[in-house]
Amino acid sequence: MNDTKRKIKKRLRNLQSLPTLPPIVGKLTKLIGDENATAPQIAELIEKDQVLTSKVLRMVNSAFYGFPRRISTVSNAIVLLGFNVIRTLVITASIFETMQSNDLTLWEHSLGVAAASGILAQRLELQNPEEVTTAGLLHDLGKVVIRTEFPDLYQRIVASVREKKIYFLDAEREILGLDHGEIGRLLANQWNLPERLLEPIAYHHQIDKAHKFKKETAIVHFADIVTRAEGYGSGGDPWVPPLTEKAWKLLKLTAEDLKEIIPVFEDRLFELRFFTLEMQNENQKNPHLS
Amino acid sequence: MRTKKILILVEKDLQKRWAPILKNSSYHIIFKNDPQRAAEEILSSPPELLVLQESLNQVLIWELIKALKNNLNLSFLPILMVLKKENLNKDWFSVPADDFLFEEACGEEILSRIQLAFARAQRSVDNNPLTGLPGNTTILRAIQEKINAEEEVAVAYVDLDHFKPFNDRYGFARGDEILRMVARILSNVVLGRYGAQGFVGHIGGDDFVFICPLKEIEKVCQEIIKDFAALLPNFIDPKDWNRGYFEEKDRQGKKQRFSFPSLSIAVVPLLPGRFKHYGEVSAVAAQIKKMAKGKEGNSFFIDRRRQPYETKNR
Repeated sequence: MNDTKRKIKKRLRNLQSLPTLPPIVGKLTKLIGDENATAPQIAELIEKDQVLTSKVLRMVNSAFYGFPRRISTVSNAIVLLGFNVIRTLVITASIFETMQSNDLTLWEHSLGVAAASGILAQRLELQNPEEVTTAGLLHDLGKVVIRTEFPDLYQRIVASVREKKIYFLDAEREILGLDHGEIGRLLANQWNLPERLLEPIAYHHQIDKAHKFKKETAIVHFADIVTRAEGYGSGGDPWVPPLTEKAWKLLKLTAEDLKEIIPVFEDRLFELRFFTLEMQNENQKNPHLS
Repeated sequence: MRTKKILILVEKDLQKRWAPILKNSSYHIIFKNDPQRAAEEILSSPPELLVLQESLNQVLIWELIKALKNNLNLSFLPILMVLKKENLNKDWFSVPADDFLFEEACGEEILSRIQLAFARAQRSVDNNPLTGLPGNTTILRAIQEKINAEEEVAVAYVDLDHFKPFNDRYGFARGDEILRMVARILSNVVLGRYGAQGFVGHIGGDDFVFICPLKEIEKVCQEIIKDFAALLPNFIDPKDWNRGYFEEKDRQGKKQRFSFPSLSIAVVPLLPGRFKHYGEVSAVAAQIKKMAKGKEGNSFFIDRRRQPYETKNR
């Protein structure tokens, strides 16, 4: 194991919390201060942020809540944790001290993948599409970790992508000795996230490694690619990676399916665009953050 | 209310310092200075709270605390230990006192500690050990208070039906977890919406109670049922869930079907003047529980009658 890899693993073991985007926390704080705000409204907003979502799921899956099955959706978690816990979580959420345009585009990319994953899961009649949506939202959690915990290495990856014209994933492997999938896996493991989320997070670039949740993993893999193809947000590089043949076989999607799914997805992205624009404007109103 | 008896076993100097403030409190205070003689009295006619000074006789005081805490009938008796600062470090597992204070403490401090000890004792004695929710004594008091205040509230009795087959199938540990889940849903919905205006209690086993404003009771029941339905699949193994019911063999070896757990909520509106006593509320609840339980799946039933409880006997 090289030194960088060892250092990253060590840091992950002690990682307590990840920062969130300031505009999201701002909006949530406003919502929570509003007496008429309801739990579903708050859930809907939390589900738009990969960091807050992972925090809520981490909390509900801690040893304190002895569930026979781990909880994998925000709506279930909020019912169990209650309003007061959520309020505390939002109030104590740390935010990015300096925000870069990359942060917003990665966040947009995750939102897009979440939407696409949900639509695909519904189309393929998986039992719980909401869980697959969550998996899509969280799939690049490892990139958030690199960005916030190892800013220097992150800058080197970004530079390498630009100079050598390679995928972000390959630049990670070259510079870190491991990629965001592996980092996400380590974190999900440590935070007791359910396997149905862990596998798509860990293996959305290597779906043959998925063990129990092959279909979910293949969906997130596919969702990642269509979101990139639509040019919605950015996963760190401008290229669309090839679709693994195995994913295609596993999902058994037909041309007919795609013809119907793509417009639904584009409509959803159009709606989301309003929300992301609002976040960008919020962000520009607070210039000290950008 | 009866005045509470507090026995304070300390040396004369401390008594002189603390007595003036405690004399004016609402407690019945007895000071003692000789640990040997006090010990027997404490065991034979225990007070409602004990203050013991360690330096009077360390061995005896420790033995006394252990004896009291190991006695099932007296283990709830709050014990405060008075310490010298230099003796602060000790193994609190082997000296099971409830709280401590230093010999330098002033009269106000000991009074506050006593009040806090009583408040804490009340919380923990009545609370259900599984869910932490208030138990019967507190539930009855809460209902009576609402009757007396003539507030328009609803008292809702929540049953987890078909709990037993679930418990038999998955074992008591998972049974405990599903009861905790119900407790959390009720607290989060009722207390989350109404704070101190609401109330949630655990009667015991699969029976719960909550109180909320009458005009919102339908919304609250719907939300509770929705939350319960959303979380239930996490408690049922996929094999059973896909079948839709539990299947067990009875004593004759015949296969029997059992439903999954479900909630039934029986609501008694407290209209001003309808009830005088909490006993009347639970009697009406018993009647309408049957109605709620009669329905399949999760359900709630609201008693719409408005006449005073006793009209039929007049």
